[in-house]
Amino acid sequence: MKYILLMSGTRAGVEAYHAWPKQDIDAHMAVLHRINQDLAESGEFVSTQGLTEPKEAKVVRGEKNGLPVTDGIFPESKEFLLGYWIVDVANAERAYAIAGRISGASLNMPIEVRQFATHEAKSR
Amino acid sequence: MKYILMMNTMKAGQGVLGWLKKDLQAHIGFMIGVNKELRGRGELVSAEGLSFPDQAKLVRASKDGQPVTDGIFPESKEFLAGFWIIDVDSAQRAYEIAAKVSAAPGPGGAPLNMPIEVRPVMSGPPTDML
Repeated sequence: MKYILLMSGTRAGVEAYHAWPKQDIDAHMAVLHRINQDLAESGEFVSTQGLTEPKEAKVVRGEKNGLPVTDGIFPESKEFLLGYWIVDVANAERAYAIAGRISGASLNMPIEVRQFATHEAKSR
Repeated sequence: MKYILMMNTMKAGQGVLGWLKKDLQAHIGFMIGVNKELRGRGELVSAEGLSFPDQAKLVRASKDGQPVTDGIFPESKEFLAGFWIIDVDSAQRAYEIAAKVSAAPGPGGAPLNMPIEVRPVMSGPPTDML
């Protein structure tokens, strides 16, 4: 079963992270890297991505003529996706265990765990 | 350049369950068409739909490293409903594709014009962090 583990944060949270000492950022990245390696070894790794900063985010809507209208104004409280992991695991408990490990490596921040809507994926 | 297009909804977005079957079919058919077109142009990296917010869990590590799950989210929270990762030549092209999916048909076939969040995807962590 495929699950996506979503790590989100506010703009203020991202700014606080940038203020971390380099050695703390290095240690944080090393643990996440180790988690990715472990998932690759257990065959549960599907993909992971980090996203660029919230300041580069745009919100796009289609206009009546079909042309894109872009806007970059978000509420201060908005949680931005910082990155995600897609894992293919035997059950939800295993997905929660992986999310717990990522959380533990990242200031115990909450990780949102969601299952893929596979019936839709198949019809594509 | 890789971009992610995110379709977010509130919990109320589950209202899609109340759509007429033909409207839902038209919506899904439209999305399948978009994916096919993007794949044909070599721009589609991946596209996924997520299960409904009622199945979402929030996980934190406890002090002993064990996962603690919780399913309580603020009413105002936006949930990711689905996403596309595309590989395109410019931000402009990413916005064009976002506008296209924004205008996917809803009830009665009217365009939804839903907001799509567009963000560049990093190809990996900065090399000095590995």
